[in-house]
Amino acid sequence: MVLVLALGDLHIPHRAADLPTKFKSMLVPGKIQHIICTGNLCIKEVHDYLKSLCPDLHITRGECDEDARYPETKTLTIGQFKLGLCHGHQVVPWGDLDSLAMLQRQLDVDILVTGHTHQFKAYKHEGGVVINPGSATGAYSSITYDVNPSFVLMDIDGLCVVEYVYELRGYLDRLKVDKIDFKKTATVQTPLRF
Amino acid sequence: MRKKGVPDWFTSSLWSSSSSNSNSFRTRSASGSSPTTPQCETRNESETENAPIAGGDLTPIDGLAEEISGQALLFAEVSKKVINLGELRRLALQGIPDGAGIRSIVWKLLLGYLPNDRAFWEEELDRKRSQYNAFKDEFLLNPSEITRRQDESADVNGEALDLEDKGFLPRADISHGEHPLSLGKTSVWNQFFQDTEVIEQIDRDVMRTHPDMHFFSGDSSLAKSNQDSLKHILIIFAKLNPGIRYVQGMNEVLAPLYYVFRNDPDEKNAVCAEADAFFCFVELLSGFRDNFCQKLDNSILGICSTISKLSNLLKEHDVDLWRHLEFTTKVNPHFYAFRWITLLLTQEFNFADIIHIWDTLLSDPEGPQETLLRICCAMLILVRRRLLAGDFTSNLKLLQHYPSKNISHLLYVANKLRGPSSSG
Repeated sequence: MVLVLALGDLHIPHRAADLPTKFKSMLVPGKIQHIICTGNLCIKEVHDYLKSLCPDLHITRGECDEDARYPETKTLTIGQFKLGLCHGHQVVPWGDLDSLAMLQRQLDVDILVTGHTHQFKAYKHEGGVVINPGSATGAYSSITYDVNPSFVLMDIDGLCVVEYVYELRGYLDRLKVDKIDFKKTATVQTPLRF
Repeated sequence: MRKKGVPDWFTSSLWSSSSSNSNSFRTRSASGSSPTTPQCETRNESETENAPIAGGDLTPIDGLAEEISGQALLFAEVSKKVINLGELRRLALQGIPDGAGIRSIVWKLLLGYLPNDRAFWEEELDRKRSQYNAFKDEFLLNPSEITRRQDESADVNGEALDLEDKGFLPRADISHGEHPLSLGKTSVWNQFFQDTEVIEQIDRDVMRTHPDMHFFSGDSSLAKSNQDSLKHILIIFAKLNPGIRYVQGMNEVLAPLYYVFRNDPDEKNAVCAEADAFFCFVELLSGFRDNFCQKLDNSILGICSTISKLSNLLKEHDVDLWRHLEFTTKVNPHFYAFRWITLLLTQEFNFADIIHIWDTLLSDPEGPQETLLRICCAMLILVRRRLLAGDFTSNLKLLQHYPSKNISHLLYVANKLRGPSSSG
């Protein structure tokens, strides 16, 4: 039972001041084992805050990040799942699912987590699952109208992943939590033959 | 009872074999030392009135015969269809033979886990063991499994997900607001995280239990499964008793119980040792739980009152030693007696000795609390010579690292300290 927090595109301080208080009250240290962050934090203080929530932090570089040392992509294995991480501004067209599927095949991962569009998405194709946790602060985006603050918490337990999607919706920022179940099939993908 | 002074035979050099009692209770007596014979003499009411034995009034062979007949009586009692608990207590008070493998059954009878009518054993054991399994299901699952089970029972359309090859994953509503970051008091997740602290504490303590014994510690799979059993028992106890939860030291009290039950020669019983040990642990602790509750420390039920009872007992039987400890050297009984009492002496002697002391503790009709105080008092009296000669530092050191003693002599002395209402 491993809890993995996926979030990104906070754009602090340029486009948002801080995480919404409803999110901050829930994110306490000691509960989460890993944090994967798609990027665009943008400053070191946010990095330190995330580090205080969980010492195991993985970040990839977004186009507005001030720290240039983050890698472009990252892969990690948690339990039975291989996770891939990338900000997503490198994959053009932005947010295009087929191109992201291509990146997923390149990284050879079961779950690919990308961002940049500031819109939550969870998409399944034969190669695996692509997740976009959206923007945790609801920061302005040039490609998405009406950005809702959102992030994803994955509960990895053996071959099952339960994703809890936390979103603040509507005028009053009502917290809505949804659940997505995903089971990894044990079968190996057959390679293409010509 | 004696008001002042201690008779010489208490501390005569005859008793002071300092070798620890790792052999069986019986073989020591067979080797001819007579310390054991007065003990069973005093217990056995049918014998003639004893005088304090200073040496060879009885030949070792007579003593051995006594032992064997006591052993046989114990066997006979345990094998009966309906067991007389009073008789069993009397016989068990003399000590339970190590090699016979009946200790597990006798302890279960003494703690009230098994009814005294053999016909009901099967039914009672099944009932209790299935109750324990129900506890395990309820308390030991992590929240992911709990939510998964809830979902499985709630709906069956989870299959639809796998059929699609491509597409957006459907978002489902969560039930009862259950999500891992929930801060609600009734949330399974929240309770889980709050319990994590207790569980970590239990984990640490179990790892440290008896590191010198292969049964409890080491890398073998036996040790690991035993440690897991201990952990499960303590976690379930902590969850069922939110008042005291888990306190450091409970692992030490549990260890001998689990050891004895797990080494039951009857395979069927040994396999269910965890369930049996849980209930017996609850029963044993029920008398002592006030010692573990911090709020009761200064009340009449708590540990401070128990320690002062011990002090008074010592004052009653050996006023010189009491005065020397209390006033001359100012050794506060809290410094040594706290661990003796709360841990039921499990940290003071080696494991085999503890089991023998517990034979007496559990079988004494006066109850474990009173018996424990008498044994502690006897422990003090047995080292009185060294205590009277020592100052604060050396006395404290002596009492906190109690030297190994001849256990049956210790128990004999403790028995002698009984109040005027009992025999002896």
